[in-house]
Amino acid sequence: MALFWEFFSFEIKLRLKSASTYVYFGIWFFISFLSIAAQDFLNPGNDKILLNGPFSTSGLYTILSFFGMLVMAAIFGSSILRDFQQNTYQLIFTKPITKFAYLGGRWAGSFVTALLCFSGMVIGEALGTLAPWADHVRIAPGHLGWYLHAFLAVPVVQIFFLGSLFFAVAALTRKLFVMYLQGVVVFLVYLIVNVIFAATGSLEHFWSAIFDPVGLRLLDSVTRYWTVVEKNTLQLPWSGIFLYNRLIWSSVGLLCLIAAYLLFPFSVEALTAGSRARKAARDAELEQTGGNRSLVAARLPVVHPSFSSGTSWSQWVSLTRLRINDILHEFPFWGIVGAMLVFVLVNGHFAGRRQENNVYPVTFQMLQVVEGGSALFFLIIATLYAGELVWRERDTQWAGIHDALPVRESIDWLSKLSALAVIELLLLTIVMASGIFSQTIAGYYHYELLQYFKQLYLITFPHILIFTLLALFLQTVIGNKFIAHGVVIGLFVLTPILVTHGWENTLYLFGSTPDYTYSDMNGYGHFVPAIFWSIVYWLSISAFLGVVSIALAARGADDSWASRFRLAGRRAPRLVPVAACFLLVAIGSGCWFFYNAHVINEYLNSKAQREIQARYERDFKKYENLPQPKIIAVDANIDIFPERRAFSGTGHFVLENKTPGPISQIHILNREQSVTNVHFDRPFHKVSSSPRDLYTIYSLEQPLAPGEKLNLNFNVGRTPHGFMDGNERPELAYSGTFFDAGYFPAIGYDARFELTDPRRRRELHLGPVSELPHRGDPLGSRTNLFSQDADWISFRTVVSTADDQIALAPGYLQRDWHSDGRHYYEYDMGDVKIENFFAYVSARYHLKQDVYQGVSGPVNIEVYSAPAHPYDVDDMIASSKAGLAYYEKNFSPFQFRQFRILEFPRYRLFAQSFPNTVPFSEFGFVGRVIDPQKDIDLTYFVTAHELAHQWWGHQLVGGRVEGSNMLSESLAEYSALRVMQKKYGDDQMRKFLKHELDGYLRGRAAESRHEPPLVLVQREPYVWYQKGSLVLYGLSDYIGEDKLNLALRNFLLQYRYANATGEQSGLYPDTRQFVAALRAQTPPELQYYITDAFESIVLYDNKALSATVSEAPNKKYKVTLTVQARKLKSDGNGVETPMPMNDFIDVGVFTGKKDHEKVLYLKKEKFTAEKQTFEIMVDEMPTRAGIDPQNKLIDRDADDNTMDATKR
Amino acid sequence: MALIITGLSKTYPNGVKALKNLSLTVGNCMFGLLGPNGAGKSTLMRTIATLQDPDAGEIQLDGVDVLKDKTAVRKLLGYLPQEFGVYPKISALAMLQHLAVMKGITNRTERNQMVDALLNQTNLWSARKKPLGTYSGGMKQRFGIAQALLANPKLIIVDEPTAGLDPAERNRFLNLLSGIGSDVTVILSTHIVEDVRELCPRMAIIANGELLLEGVPAETLDALKGKIWSKVVATDDELRALETNFHLLSTHLAGGLHEVRIYSESNPGDAFLPVASDLEDVYFLNLARHAKN
Repeated sequence: MALFWEFFSFEIKLRLKSASTYVYFGIWFFISFLSIAAQDFLNPGNDKILLNGPFSTSGLYTILSFFGMLVMAAIFGSSILRDFQQNTYQLIFTKPITKFAYLGGRWAGSFVTALLCFSGMVIGEALGTLAPWADHVRIAPGHLGWYLHAFLAVPVVQIFFLGSLFFAVAALTRKLFVMYLQGVVVFLVYLIVNVIFAATGSLEHFWSAIFDPVGLRLLDSVTRYWTVVEKNTLQLPWSGIFLYNRLIWSSVGLLCLIAAYLLFPFSVEALTAGSRARKAARDAELEQTGGNRSLVAARLPVVHPSFSSGTSWSQWVSLTRLRINDILHEFPFWGIVGAMLVFVLVNGHFAGRRQENNVYPVTFQMLQVVEGGSALFFLIIATLYAGELVWRERDTQWAGIHDALPVRESIDWLSKLSALAVIELLLLTIVMASGIFSQTIAGYYHYELLQYFKQLYLITFPHILIFTLLALFLQTVIGNKFIAHGVVIGLFVLTPILVTHGWENTLYLFGSTPDYTYSDMNGYGHFVPAIFWSIVYWLSISAFLGVVSIALAARGADDSWASRFRLAGRRAPRLVPVAACFLLVAIGSGCWFFYNAHVINEYLNSKAQREIQARYERDFKKYENLPQPKIIAVDANIDIFPERRAFSGTGHFVLENKTPGPISQIHILNREQSVTNVHFDRPFHKVSSSPRDLYTIYSLEQPLAPGEKLNLNFNVGRTPHGFMDGNERPELAYSGTFFDAGYFPAIGYDARFELTDPRRRRELHLGPVSELPHRGDPLGSRTNLFSQDADWISFRTVVSTADDQIALAPGYLQRDWHSDGRHYYEYDMGDVKIENFFAYVSARYHLKQDVYQGVSGPVNIEVYSAPAHPYDVDDMIASSKAGLAYYEKNFSPFQFRQFRILEFPRYRLFAQSFPNTVPFSEFGFVGRVIDPQKDIDLTYFVTAHELAHQWWGHQLVGGRVEGSNMLSESLAEYSALRVMQKKYGDDQMRKFLKHELDGYLRGRAAESRHEPPLVLVQREPYVWYQKGSLVLYGLSDYIGEDKLNLALRNFLLQYRYANATGEQSGLYPDTRQFVAALRAQTPPELQYYITDAFESIVLYDNKALSATVSEAPNKKYKVTLTVQARKLKSDGNGVETPMPMNDFIDVGVFTGKKDHEKVLYLKKEKFTAEKQTFEIMVDEMPTRAGIDPQNKLIDRDADDNTMDATKR
Repeated sequence: MALIITGLSKTYPNGVKALKNLSLTVGNCMFGLLGPNGAGKSTLMRTIATLQDPDAGEIQLDGVDVLKDKTAVRKLLGYLPQEFGVYPKISALAMLQHLAVMKGITNRTERNQMVDALLNQTNLWSARKKPLGTYSGGMKQRFGIAQALLANPKLIIVDEPTAGLDPAERNRFLNLLSGIGSDVTVILSTHIVEDVRELCPRMAIIANGELLLEGVPAETLDALKGKIWSKVVATDDELRALETNFHLLSTHLAGGLHEVRIYSESNPGDAFLPVASDLEDVYFLNLARHAKN
């Protein structure tokens, strides 16, 4: 024991003397400190979650422990390896010591050291909460217990488990590179597994959490559905999944220790036997092969060295080749490449797969994942080997010979750069091959080599070069390889932090390029100049740094700064002109970039954009309820110039005063800075205008009387100049222009332009975001939810575009003609009124048409797709037909004679339903169903959803009050579900609803304001989509599909086209009428369901407690099933109160394996008590049984609803 | 080729004075540089090999300013540092080919001939394709010799070249060096007096950064003729007694007995016998005189 203590205290003393211990402590301390004290440093998600709350703390500690794996490897590994690296083992193991003392002391010392280092997290967090500048709204003071609990639950267990693992590996292999490699390997394997989970969107959370060695998945599984209140109060529980996980990995740690103790050979011979014998044999073999040689030395041949420019070239080639060879012989290099390859192939395999709905692995999709997966590796290689190459000669003591060679510093230095460049090109080629390989495996054979080439060699490669040059520069200038590595990594980490704090300028974010998106419709399109010039700019800056590094490169024995400056002085004459050249290019390209991004375009970072929004709200919110006339007719002539990404035109609105009083002021909101030259048909003057003409107030000399109409004429258009530093308008493209009424004048204040993120609002000293008016609000109820400046309009337009493109807008094509090399189209809605919701689209299209015989005549179905994307056109047509059939049968006739789907570039990712016109982003046109039994056909579903909006949105629209959004979104979602069910069956539906349930529960867990009940929803998509479809589907299960559809039909027929006629704006429907329509079709004993599901937030906690089977006479089986049924009511913050149970819930018995069950018995039973036992007779041998087995109710633990039935 | 070193001084940042106003002229010959560890030999060698700048002084090589026009010197130089490492994964053949290119042998045939000849001469032929990292200490040293002789250097600086060589290889190396053309300046730094005696027409002894002696080994020996005396004693006590009475140049163990050598102008008596002087006596005598000063 004394010996143990000796080793232990020696280890501790040594560690306390080592700088690395304090560095590790410092890293944890500062990250923890900053995550509390600096806003946005690490984002725990939701604004209401306490920065230092138990949830944030556990998350932070888990992530830090994950990255801390490398620190653990260093601490535990080196405690053993130290003896073998410094050859002290010969001294130690010849002394009378015990294995236990040696291993135990070293391990315990490392363990305590690691605890000390990691305790920086706790101390940093505790001190962070005291920082006066921190966001104290989000900090609960004085909760040291939270930190200690989390510290014990996560880092301590991790250190024990991983530390012991690394210790055992080090003790048993005694190799340095294995030590580094194991940390890297575990790290990477984990990342890869996580990618697989993220990519597939698997809903499996039990086993993956239990066997999660790091805890990210575990944490996700435990806290996935925790509400804000729970996240701020609950600590990680020492029970269930969490406990199992901790126990499993602690035992693994223990096993590692036992293995290390049992297998560690404890004698000098055994420790070195293998390698020494091998080396001796090798030496002998090498030495022997001399033969008999003459002792007389032969004369050496005469050579003729020459030093010309050709020699410099040969020297450069030879040096480059040598350096490449050297790297290619490195084991760690191949380790990294191997890891990259695995990572890239895994990524490639899952390219286009997500949550059981897939897209084709088209090249941009594939590039995104393979390049994204490998980017980190490129940078690791660049950073690591820049350091190796700069230091190689000195590290290997070869410098004495190398530095005296007759070669110029520039040649030597350039050879380092070129070697790294060749290595990176090799990696890029591997990535390209992996991408193509993955596409082939996925059965996609349309290889776009040019796109691979452009992305990898023309965009990615220069970026790698930029960072390589930076790394070489830092390695040259900073006299320590590891500090220089640290600085490079620091820069990587710093950039995203700067960006989140509003430092987004390409001109000072090293090596950055404005965001760009590849699109199959446009290629790199209008992003090319910004990409090109930013690359030129940063490449020349880093090349300049490269020249400086050549000047300052160390050569010879003396690397003091004095001598390096002296050398630099001598090298200067050759280098200054080159440096000046690069500097000039940098300045030139920088100026050009600045001119484009800041002079001819207005540069706004996200903060400045938010300030505009805040100012808008502060200045004009007071006009929100000001009576304004409504638009009743729109007529516009629009010319689209896709080759310039521009459009221009004239618009004509007819406004009508639909209020009871006169209106003298007209307010015009010009959100997109696209409206000019506003004119009314009577005398008026401008009262005021805000910067950028965002909000202009006009006064009519003579007020507009109630019922009176007014013509408004204006010019509309956008012409981009040069290029911008990001934030290019996605609406304008060389092919795929798509802009909507947002580019036209809006009448009056529009609250949808306000900031909604509570944190951002607080930053800008805005109060809480305003709520939508209550149902029944006099003004809100008279305002259209989607366009508050119009009720219904008539619409006519002439639109023109380049001759090779097709231009579209809502309306029936009246005529089209060519003139001046342009193609003109006239669209008119005629007498059919639409909402003030229209769009213009222009692109090079391939058109496919079909006709559906509707109840009131044929409907033309047209799909306009990019020629590269033929995949989903038929699917869209099929979905349109199926949808038209179902909706016309169950709801009402389709109000248009055409239904058109138009592809637009993936700069934006959505589909949107305009009257008879649905622009659909590229992703829908590459959707892919591989296995109809398994995959969810998202394109089919989205098409049906958008089509359903022609009813729910374009026939029925609610008022601008809370709840109205669900009338369009939830009903469209439900309608589409039905269309999908008809094609893919009930099983698919249940799978889809499982994702909807998960989405809803996660959505409410991330709620940053308060969760509303469905019929009071305001701006919570997880409620109107996911919860909406769940509870509507649930209701149809209770009252039947027919009854529900009847309720919807009645509601629709009664309230559709509200305000389409009439002099004054009348009432729009809201969810009160909707609920009434539902209640009318719901029997009294089920009315509670409407109250619970639609008007409240209710969660079930249903569970199967026991299920046994016994054989009964007549080849029957008796199942005795005991279940628990619980119901909780939640408020908007997630505070739950139990509810009495008086519900009908499914009880079922199944045969077949879990997840492949076949129904033997399914019946709704009335539950009045929490626990109930059922005896059920079935004809087949059952395997599983339970309560709400198909997860129709909202239940956070859906898995425990059923269980295996055991035989008695 | 003549190398003229004038007033060379170098003080390291830690205060060690490695060279103190050292002047030396080396002609077209094999020049032996003797000195104990820390004498400043390696500093001097590195300075001539263009790897280091002195604080003061200058070096001329046939009219070329070595300190200014380093490139010109490097083109003529073959340098074997005292300690050097290798790229462990690269073979001797590949490395020598590479170095030959670096030294301007751009003609492939010439390069191959030279590399092959050197590999043979240094007895590395059979191991030429093995990675240098697997070489033993002696093999590595031979590789170092081979690279120093590439490209017919006119100035060869070899720092402790025979360290780590077995006797046969040492002889072979000395043969190889002595066979190098006449118009070549070779500076051989060593603390092994034998190397210098066998090889060098001229030599110098330095200690503490100062030149103690420069001359022809034979002449320096002549100066000591009849002044070196030897005696064999059996016990440590006897040795201690001698140490107090005489200034001992050196002691060797011979068959367990101490053979003591002293310098004396006249017969010291006390059973000392006259012996023939050798270079080692010159070396130790100079060091001893220097230490006294």
